[in-house]
Amino acid sequence: MSLGENWNILKGFVHKAMLTLEKREATEGEAFFTSTQTTDIAIRNSEVYTQNMVCDAGVGFRVIVRRNKIGFACTNSLSQKAISEALEKASSIARASSEVPNFALPRVTELPQVRGLFNREVEEMDVDEGVDIAKRMLNAAQSVDDRIVAKSGRVLFESGRRGVINTFGVDLEERETRSVLYLDGSGEQDGEVTGSCYDATFNRGADVNPEKIGENVGKMVVEMFRPQHVESFEGTVIFGPEAVSNQFFTVLVDALKGDNVAAGRSAWTNKRGEQVALEKLTIRDNALLKGRFASRSFDDEGSASQNTCVIRKGRLESFLHDATSADASGEKNTGNASRFPGGFDMIRAIVGNGYRSKPEIYPSNLMIQPGNKAKRDLISEVDKGILAESMAGFAQPGSGMISTKLSRAFYIESGEILHPVKGGMISGVAFDWFKQISGIGTDVKQFMNSVVPSVRVENVKFIGA
Amino acid sequence: MIVCRIRNGVVEDFSNVFLDGVSVRVLMDGESWGFSSTNAIDLSSVEQTLEKATKLAKASLPLKTKKMSLEPIGDVKADVSIPVKKPLKDYSIEDFAALPLSASEGAREGGSQVAEVKSTFLAIEDDKYFLSSERSKIHQKATRVFLFVNVIAKANGALCPAQESFGHTGGLELFDTNSPYSLGKSVAEKAVKLLNKRAPPSGRFRVVIDPTLCATLLHEAIGHPLEADIAMTGGGFGNRIGEVVSSELVSIYDNGHVPSGLGYFAYDDEGVECKHTILIEQGKLKSFMHDRTSAAILGVPPTGNAHAWDYSVEPLIRQTNIGIEMGDSSFEEMVEDVKEGMFLEGTFGGQADVNADFTFGFQNARLIQNGRLGEDLRGANVAGNAIEVFKTVDAVGKKVVLRPGACGKFQFAVQGRVVPAIRCEITVGGMGG
Repeated sequence: MSLGENWNILKGFVHKAMLTLEKREATEGEAFFTSTQTTDIAIRNSEVYTQNMVCDAGVGFRVIVRRNKIGFACTNSLSQKAISEALEKASSIARASSEVPNFALPRVTELPQVRGLFNREVEEMDVDEGVDIAKRMLNAAQSVDDRIVAKSGRVLFESGRRGVINTFGVDLEERETRSVLYLDGSGEQDGEVTGSCYDATFNRGADVNPEKIGENVGKMVVEMFRPQHVESFEGTVIFGPEAVSNQFFTVLVDALKGDNVAAGRSAWTNKRGEQVALEKLTIRDNALLKGRFASRSFDDEGSASQNTCVIRKGRLESFLHDATSADASGEKNTGNASRFPGGFDMIRAIVGNGYRSKPEIYPSNLMIQPGNKAKRDLISEVDKGILAESMAGFAQPGSGMISTKLSRAFYIESGEILHPVKGGMISGVAFDWFKQISGIGTDVKQFMNSVVPSVRVENVKFIGA
Repeated sequence: MIVCRIRNGVVEDFSNVFLDGVSVRVLMDGESWGFSSTNAIDLSSVEQTLEKATKLAKASLPLKTKKMSLEPIGDVKADVSIPVKKPLKDYSIEDFAALPLSASEGAREGGSQVAEVKSTFLAIEDDKYFLSSERSKIHQKATRVFLFVNVIAKANGALCPAQESFGHTGGLELFDTNSPYSLGKSVAEKAVKLLNKRAPPSGRFRVVIDPTLCATLLHEAIGHPLEADIAMTGGGFGNRIGEVVSSELVSIYDNGHVPSGLGYFAYDDEGVECKHTILIEQGKLKSFMHDRTSAAILGVPPTGNAHAWDYSVEPLIRQTNIGIEMGDSSFEEMVEDVKEGMFLEGTFGGQADVNADFTFGFQNARLIQNGRLGEDLRGANVAGNAIEVFKTVDAVGKKVVLRPGACGKFQFAVQGRVVPAIRCEITVGGMGG
């Protein structure tokens, strides 16, 4: 069955099931449904290991019965019976559930036009082309240096449709494509193996550059040869885009989520309007940008997408909301209901994303406004410090504590990179670091839900291994 | 799957997840794999899926230079149902909700400083068929249940998290001996207790690691680098079979047959029987964990470690129940010999790298001075290189504990860990100076 055929069948079943909802004790209801086809070429130990294709379609229902009691059920069985049964299960679960104060579903609103979300070339991408891209990526990495091993990698092309229907008349669908290239390499020098060095690109189109990724990974590995121990010190740390995207991003998301703010879990509860960072820092959540990886015209419960300034020149201007948290706080809905959040949540990891789970508040493209310093300028002004390109481990949500291992880092003295760093950790509180920023780079990079540059922070503690 | 998550006394997520589907994997000319999956399980869709897998497998044939010779494992006929004393079908959705609610009530006993309580019940019923052109026909059924509790305590602007979980392969009998209420209460008490404690110091320390944290250390630091797909890229333990890679007090295995362990599987998802595989014996590296492909490349038998999270994704090399053989030290003896160090407890999860570098979080600690447990401290992260750290192991506890575990290497997996306390040297990334 083709992707389009699957979609039409699914949509027909979902619409029919939703019609029966109005006759029940349900007061509100919503269906979120997707149909996707993913072609994925996996690299293992410097070889193309397997070619995969996943066809998936399904629907998740949220049913709200009297006094805001909510149930969720989903299925991927493509029959009217299975889909109606899922809706029935959501209703019976809702009856056994407890009241959720201020629950709200979106109403019909005008949607922005967001361009560049669908690319026919990606939808029609053949596996042979994918294998060729994987091969070119591998060759490019290995042509940098023959000691490079590509331990894993992916070339992924996804095409799909996403739809939301609710009992307030919302009835939306969008076609989307995505392409992801990822390569993770390491290398051995004098019996010592480097840590992971990886690069990835996240696009909507088929215009990818595997040679560039391969070359980047190759160069990263070579740069990490002959690392040296560095004694503990307090100094300047330049967090590269990847470190910013992994570590700062986790802390920012946790503090900006409207539900966390309302419940007092956010460190920024009651701080709207306050200066939470130095003036250099401006952050937007922008789902409207043409062709960006997390752009969309409506969020995953059907609210119109927005371009929201969350921090303007260091001042906390807005939080991120879905329909419920916007209603509860009386603030504007920022269209941040997501069924594809990043980060690690055990239950979501088990159950799965998309139609398999209910939405949560998460950024679309969270963008740190680039500064005016090229990377080399950020480095040249450092007396003694670390360039932390990649860090392993998790920032602690809530407290903002970051105490993580450096996996790709360099020691800087008198404005110059002297050598890669062997082991070592960085620790501190991200909320303090936001007030110690001394420079922001021009080197923005797109990740799944963030577009961020390098950020330089003063007085950060480095712990030598 | 049933999920019931309670947040601060309110049902935040109550879900029923039903998924079915089929996948086909084709090995073309003994060289190239193709994998295709679909949620549409009518005959025509399945035939199309088979055709796609064949086409996919052909796509990388021109790149292959040598044939793999998979060890034959065919003609396995098995029908395995892992025993369940209290099956899910005998309980109502209200019964399921009562479990996390009880944990949530227990956590409230922690007092007014308990700012946030999240308790989640999760049950998975897995019904899996494996058929192969080698004439194997394997049916496996398993039920797994979990209860997770996360608490954040708050006072004077300071936040302190704590978490703990139960989980096993089996039914609701898990809660006959593990009280959700007591779990909630103990997690909340821990979070509150740590509120006014100092952060731990930073630097390299001699530490005693409790079994809960040892489970994460074992999984991240030793487990991942011993998965053949990672090991064979040359880093960490790669090319070191037969060499001494840790203290001789350390023996490590992976075993799919640990009753009630979350990684309890009779067969893996390539139809290979799950085995007891000795990975490290008295410090010497004996074997990696393999799927059929990596085993064929190294010319060794597969170890039953190829597991797919569900029908939609291809099997990868995963741990089942990884364990450290018990030693002969009591906890008191392990503490007694430490002049200046720490006792590290609880886990916040972690990450490992190809070169056996790792990092993970602990929830709380106690200072050890002159062989005595002292001041309570908050959690932080530790980091190191597995081979360097495991060479410093100088005591292994004489009591092992079966812990629930999970892993997110490209796709999800549930796993067990059989672990004692250990003593070693490690870098602590604390903020307490």
